[in-house]
Amino acid sequence: MTNPNDKENKDDTHNGKVGVYICHCGGNISDHVDVDKVRDAAEDLSCVKVARTNMFMCSDPGQNMIIEDLENGEVDRVVVASCAPSLHETTFRSAVERAGANPFVYEHANIREQVSWVHHGDPATDKASTLVAAAAAKAENLEPLHPVRVDAFRHATVIGAGIAGMKTAVDIARQGIDVALVEKTTQPGGRLNTLHTLAPDGEKAGDVVDAFYEEIQNSERITVYPNTQVNDVKGYVGNFTLTLATDGENGRADTTVDTGAIVMATGSQSYTPFNGEYAYGEHPQVITLPELIQTLAENSGDENTLTVNGKKIRNMVMIHCVGSRRIPGIHETKEDANLNEYCSRTCCSAVLHAGNFIRETFPGTSIFDMYRDIRTYGRGQEELYNRAAENRVVFMRFEADAPPRVESSDTGNFPLSVTVSDGLTFNEEMTVPADLVVLATGVEPTDISGIAGMLKLPRGNDGFLNEVHPKLRPVELPVTGVFLAGTCQAPMDSSEACNTAGAAAAKVSALLGKGYIELDPFVAHVDEEKCTGTGACVDACLVDDALELVETEVAGQTVKKARVTAALCQGCGACVAVCPENAIEVNGWTLKQYEAMVDAIAAA
Amino acid sequence: MILDTDFADEMKQYSGDTALECFNCGTCAALCPLFHDNFPRRMIRYVQVGAKERILENANELWRCLHCGLCTHTCPREADPGEIILGLKQMVVETRRRS
Repeated sequence: MTNPNDKENKDDTHNGKVGVYICHCGGNISDHVDVDKVRDAAEDLSCVKVARTNMFMCSDPGQNMIIEDLENGEVDRVVVASCAPSLHETTFRSAVERAGANPFVYEHANIREQVSWVHHGDPATDKASTLVAAAAAKAENLEPLHPVRVDAFRHATVIGAGIAGMKTAVDIARQGIDVALVEKTTQPGGRLNTLHTLAPDGEKAGDVVDAFYEEIQNSERITVYPNTQVNDVKGYVGNFTLTLATDGENGRADTTVDTGAIVMATGSQSYTPFNGEYAYGEHPQVITLPELIQTLAENSGDENTLTVNGKKIRNMVMIHCVGSRRIPGIHETKEDANLNEYCSRTCCSAVLHAGNFIRETFPGTSIFDMYRDIRTYGRGQEELYNRAAENRVVFMRFEADAPPRVESSDTGNFPLSVTVSDGLTFNEEMTVPADLVVLATGVEPTDISGIAGMLKLPRGNDGFLNEVHPKLRPVELPVTGVFLAGTCQAPMDSSEACNTAGAAAAKVSALLGKGYIELDPFVAHVDEEKCTGTGACVDACLVDDALELVETEVAGQTVKKARVTAALCQGCGACVAVCPENAIEVNGWTLKQYEAMVDAIAAA
Repeated sequence: MILDTDFADEMKQYSGDTALECFNCGTCAALCPLFHDNFPRRMIRYVQVGAKERILENANELWRCLHCGLCTHTCPREADPGEIILGLKQMVVETRRRS
């Protein structure tokens, strides 16, 4: 689609062949930036051959404008001024590639997030013009680049054999890639091994574990390493070497595994209340929800009343949000323990699921459910709440700063009493006599400081692993070739853990499927003519093994030169800043390109 | 106040244990022509949780009820609040006679 206003006949002062394409973003940009003015300004630049606008550059007609101009030989460098490069840089690079050009003769100018969303009127238009001028000046100096290609082991390692780890391993193996499944305990299954039935459908947790484990055992591609921890990690994407330490009868044995990708499926654990929290640890009839679930599996179901610790439970109280949703200044915790300000998400459904099972199996046991909020999110889970009401579970609501008080009691031969200011009874204080108090403890990440430190994986204040981006790259970690699956990322139920596991497996399969990996070419490059082997760059380098000094023969003499391991280089540029000879540059971000950008900004 | 967890059972002889169906929506109190201090919602809640003491303390309120039947007619859970109020009157009379 060509705009009739586009001026293509340039006078002879225009010698560059940069094409500039400016996006309206359907008004997102053009409501605040005068895009025609930006185009006119771009047209006046000596390096620019054509400048065009489009309502949506990312649409097919928008991309086809670029392709046509490249194919006609009209332009040989491309600038798109649109949204953030994280959204569409790859879109336009691939358009350039489809036109038969090198995808790296492309430069992106962000005039939405950095301009129209934060500035208005003439200053917005001026800033957009400046960014476009800088991008065009850089584009003129761009050289074709080629992705760094590294061979990759067609082998992945999954750390943790809970439901997320098992699902990841099975899905990767189905794609014909070998998998090492590393589990620190004696058997796979993780936290599902401690569950009775799964909400909301009531499927036996053991059946799900068995189904996965059977496929794992029958798969020739999956090797399970029980009683094993990862002791050491070396290498880079496609070429990791792990040292696994396995505890066996004859002591510890080390195994070395060459692997192309690593999936963190290290999971979570249930929060352990501190001594005295809701009388936990002080009274044997105060237990956690996981402890209750264990006893459910042990009860025969022939009795009218639930039995816990040998005692008939006539009335029980279940308390939500124990070790979750804590508020600084209101709640306290153990020394050195995290406050756990997040919602653990799974406990509401787990409480109601267990409560329904108890009320339907043991009608002689009545239940008081004390909550701050009920969050039975997800398909089929609100029904658990309705069913609990039908099952005559009595709900009582408390405020964050007025939690229920659990105390020993001798009232009516009940061993415990729970006193609460009940929001559903107009905040009247009431005391519920109980045979049992169950604490719905939250989810905490497993302690993975060892492996997270080795791989330099980022974790939030809550201890969970941080993905690169929750929507754009939800199962990838910033270390290339390392992925995550399941509750090491956030509290989630087993279905959600399996979703992330499937996503991680798909990512791993796509990465390792070809046997080689192509990485962005934006890595350091040594000009061997200029390099005098000072070693300053090696000292400045932030990544182990990415830069080294090697001896080579030049004119019969042995000299030292810097050498880059492209697969490890992060392209940060620390080496560029320290080289006294200007002998090292980052591809795609050379000093010459920077200077051109600065000149363009200064001239604008 | 200590709740009586057997109170709902005790009420079966007067008006059934439909109070346990209540999900605290407040429709009954919104429609009640008495427009008095969350009546009858508060009473139904007392039955649901077993706050027999509170009912006996506030028994006078029960006799305000006109038995118009609006609450029973509109209760989304069919908890039958009107019938429960009638049953509570019987319970109060019975309890006082015995003491």
